[in-house]
Amino acid sequence: MTQQLLSEQTKIEQLINNIERVIVGKKEAIELSIIALLAEGHILLEDVPGVGKTMLVRAIAKSLNLDFRRIQFTPDLLPSDVTGVSIYNQKDMNFEFRPGPIFGNIVLADEINRTSPKTQSALLESMEERHITVDGVTRELKRPFFVMATQNPIEYEGTYPLPEAQLDRFLLKLRLGYPSENDEIAMLSNLSTGHPIEQIRAVMDQEELIRHQEMVKRIYVSDAVKSYIVKIVNNTRNHPLFELGASPRASIALMKAAKAYAFIKGRDYVIPDDIKHLTPHVLSHRIILSSEARFEGKTATSIIHDLVRKTMVPIERGS
Amino acid sequence: MRFLRKDIQSFIPLILYFGSMLLLIEWVLPLEQVTDTGETIAFILFIMLCFFLSAVFMPRWLRFPLKLAGMLLLVHYLFMAESFLSRAWFTVLFADFKINMTNVFSQQWMELTPLFRTFLFLILLWMMSYLLYYWFVIRKKPLSFILITFIYLTVLDTFTTFDAKHAIIRAFIISAILLSSAHFSRILERENLKLPSFKRLTKWVSPVLIVVLFSTIIGYAAPKYDPIWPDPVPYLQSQAGGQGSGGSSTIGPQRIGYGTNDERLGGGFIWDESTVFYAQAQSSQYWKVETKDVYTGKGWVNSHDGVILPSEDGYVDRLMSYGDVVETRDGEARIQFIDPGNLDKIPYMYGTERFIPIDDLQYDYNLMTGAVYPFNNEGIQMPIVNGIDYESEISRPFFPTNRMREVEAEHVDEDFEQYLQLPETLPDRVVELAEEIVANETNRYEQAKAIEQYFSQNGFTYEEIDVPVPGEDEDYVDQFLFETQRGYCDNFSTSMVVMLRAVDIPARWVKGFTGGERVIQDHVFDDGSWMPVYEVQNNHAHSWVEVYFPDIGWVPFEPTVGFSNEASFTLGDDIEDHLEDREYDVEEDEPTPEVETEIEREDGAEEEEEDETVVASNNTSFWNIFFIVAVSLIALIIIIRIIYRRRYLIVGKWKRQKLKQKKDLDSFSDAYQFLLKILSSKGLPLKEGQTLREYAQEIDRFFGISDMKSLTHYYERAIYSDELIDKHFKDAYQIWDKMTKKLTA
Repeated sequence: MTQQLLSEQTKIEQLINNIERVIVGKKEAIELSIIALLAEGHILLEDVPGVGKTMLVRAIAKSLNLDFRRIQFTPDLLPSDVTGVSIYNQKDMNFEFRPGPIFGNIVLADEINRTSPKTQSALLESMEERHITVDGVTRELKRPFFVMATQNPIEYEGTYPLPEAQLDRFLLKLRLGYPSENDEIAMLSNLSTGHPIEQIRAVMDQEELIRHQEMVKRIYVSDAVKSYIVKIVNNTRNHPLFELGASPRASIALMKAAKAYAFIKGRDYVIPDDIKHLTPHVLSHRIILSSEARFEGKTATSIIHDLVRKTMVPIERGS
Repeated sequence: MRFLRKDIQSFIPLILYFGSMLLLIEWVLPLEQVTDTGETIAFILFIMLCFFLSAVFMPRWLRFPLKLAGMLLLVHYLFMAESFLSRAWFTVLFADFKINMTNVFSQQWMELTPLFRTFLFLILLWMMSYLLYYWFVIRKKPLSFILITFIYLTVLDTFTTFDAKHAIIRAFIISAILLSSAHFSRILERENLKLPSFKRLTKWVSPVLIVVLFSTIIGYAAPKYDPIWPDPVPYLQSQAGGQGSGGSSTIGPQRIGYGTNDERLGGGFIWDESTVFYAQAQSSQYWKVETKDVYTGKGWVNSHDGVILPSEDGYVDRLMSYGDVVETRDGEARIQFIDPGNLDKIPYMYGTERFIPIDDLQYDYNLMTGAVYPFNNEGIQMPIVNGIDYESEISRPFFPTNRMREVEAEHVDEDFEQYLQLPETLPDRVVELAEEIVANETNRYEQAKAIEQYFSQNGFTYEEIDVPVPGEDEDYVDQFLFETQRGYCDNFSTSMVVMLRAVDIPARWVKGFTGGERVIQDHVFDDGSWMPVYEVQNNHAHSWVEVYFPDIGWVPFEPTVGFSNEASFTLGDDIEDHLEDREYDVEEDEPTPEVETEIEREDGAEEEEEDETVVASNNTSFWNIFFIVAVSLIALIIIIRIIYRRRYLIVGKWKRQKLKQKKDLDSFSDAYQFLLKILSSKGLPLKEGQTLREYAQEIDRFFGISDMKSLTHYYERAIYSDELIDKHFKDAYQIWDKMTKKLTA
């Protein structure tokens, strides 16, 4: 498997490089997006407008030759606008289902917190279930199915913040952040010959991606590493600065993400380093800070960083 | 080791080296007091020479001959009469070495000559100068030597006559400065700094000096608790003795010498080499002081004060009167006191007839005890005076053994009850033993000889220190004869007297001095006298036995093992022939205690049967135990330290073997964990929350290698994946082996 893994790793690297041509200097965010994609999870992008959130999703979609859909969430958006609607066809004298944007491979749910909770839950439920029921008919979503939801952390007026239970459905939460000065200059230079998104070609096809997703599932996680995951998650539950710790779903998410990370690093087994690297991204949106921590100006990410640093890493098999 | 330059960087090494020299000198200083080493100044000079030569910039080929020359010069100064480096000088030196090499190969350590011992000691000092250089200047670790120095000084202070009061203060000051210098030097090294300048150095030096001075003054002036053990040696001995003998014994070791009170004998004593008097006589003879007649079961007293007779013109006719059958030879003797201590009687030789009066000094003597006192004309007893020659005329007796043998075993002496006295508490077994010893003898002389020789023939040993004091319900003689079987002159002589009396032979206990050591002392008797001079020290205080033979008189016997009777005996032949052999052969006749390096108890089995042997076993020499324990402890500490320091090397070898034999995950995991331990001991521990990969990166960065990363890669595979290690075992082993070897080297 190792040999095969190495060739797959090369492909993943090509994919990342391809996307990086569009989103300059954001390799980590790209890598994390690919991890979520491979682990069949979804991503919550929390960032200010204009940093390239949409472009990232488009670049991923184009590199993988996937069907890309975008939903701009507005307060008046209805669930049927997401899922699709059955329209009466007078000619055929029956209801005909018009699929909504959710029936794409890659869905960008832009500013998800701007729409009503009803519409939000329509999306989030479909993310988890990977099928939707409209007018009594259950319809399977496409495979691969990858949602990248964005929310603006600055504007809270007229928004419907996602409840914790919903946030839990995102595998990772990441921030793109502003590019560095050099990266921004490079980005501007790239624009001189047209937008790079137009220039990139697909490096992988749908089948290949599905195959990779299957391979990720088979990545080995030792008992030692599992216990390390549980230890970290457990520690969030007992942490004085957290009002609510991470759920068991977080443990599952962490393991899934770690498997994908190990895969893109060319390994067929997970090591504690993988867990350590991913924990802040996987856990930060799954916990609720205590008022004390908020008062002290601490962020979930920094506290999780500390927590991981203090959790003993297993250095023997089975420990 | 050549750091003595004008460079400021040599300042700290110089302090360290100089301080180590001062500490070594502290080791040598007490030697004069606690051992038979003399002229310690010579050794100190040699230490200084070694340290100086090592410190200055000098080629090695020059340093060695200079030190050797220094050594030979000292040996010459201390021992040689021949001119330095002459042919005769070398002859003497080589002859001495030859003898000593024989002694060394035959392991007769006590036979080594002072010259050779000095030579070895100088070599040891030479080595020490190198060793201290390494410990102090290179390793900058003076603590061990400082600790050993303090232990050495305190042990000497506690267990010997050496007073370490000032030595401790000196050692403290030196040590404090050494430790701070070493620490400072280590800090400089760690931070990769250099000493800036002498001016800025004072900023460091002054606080150090102030702190050292301050703590010294505080330490010196502050009130201190009294010692918990005011004097541990007697305390321990009394504890040991007390356990075995009902807690009655409280007498500690006494200093050897002539004492007046013999009511309670027993207990060890410390050697005292101070001179009591110088004596001049034709040959080495015992110097009698007095006799005692009543044995109490614990010691000796006199039955009454006796009759004091004045001498007439110094003649003491009745002091030593022998029968006509005893032939005599005229002679003379004189003694000059150096330090008589509490001795108020004049020692004299067997056969003394007259003490030559000096000015108004007369001599009175006690007819019963045989003690001679100086009196003035007004009848007042005079003290013994130093510097005066007490001269005497002697008719030295030659006891005829043939006539002595004529006294039958059954002979009963009239009016000698006083010398047949025995305490009622004397255990029957003493009498039974005495009867058993003399059972086959038919005459008094043979009986006396049988008892005299009983001790040497039955494994009794000479011992000065580990000698118990009998408990309240114990008899001194009984304890010696049946329990301890070791002791000094008092034990042997008292036992012999008691056993003689037990078989109805009149006997008395005599105190005095042995003949002393022959010396070349021109200044003592500078009247051109031709007689040899003997130095009699407190060490020579002695006790022996006198046995009465009718028609002959009181004849001295010597039961103490290791001592020989210096009285002369004849078989009735011509005494002139006998004299030829006896006189001036001091070397052969010198009564020296036999050196008992090992006390072998042939009668151990017999003792084990008796419960009372507890006394003996509890009283096993405190000194021996102390030194054995101390030496073993130090050896143990050194061994443990060596093993501890090399623990990773030793365990590493073992793990390597294990890994070669068992190529499984457990042994690989074990080996990897071991590597982590080694790294941890090097100050590179795996931190909390650190992953192996992060740690490996840190280690590789630290050592500038990439081995740890590779090895960790294999280890990660082994423990985190479901793959078997077998495939990569060889590669992993090679890296592990390389790393552990490098780290434990």
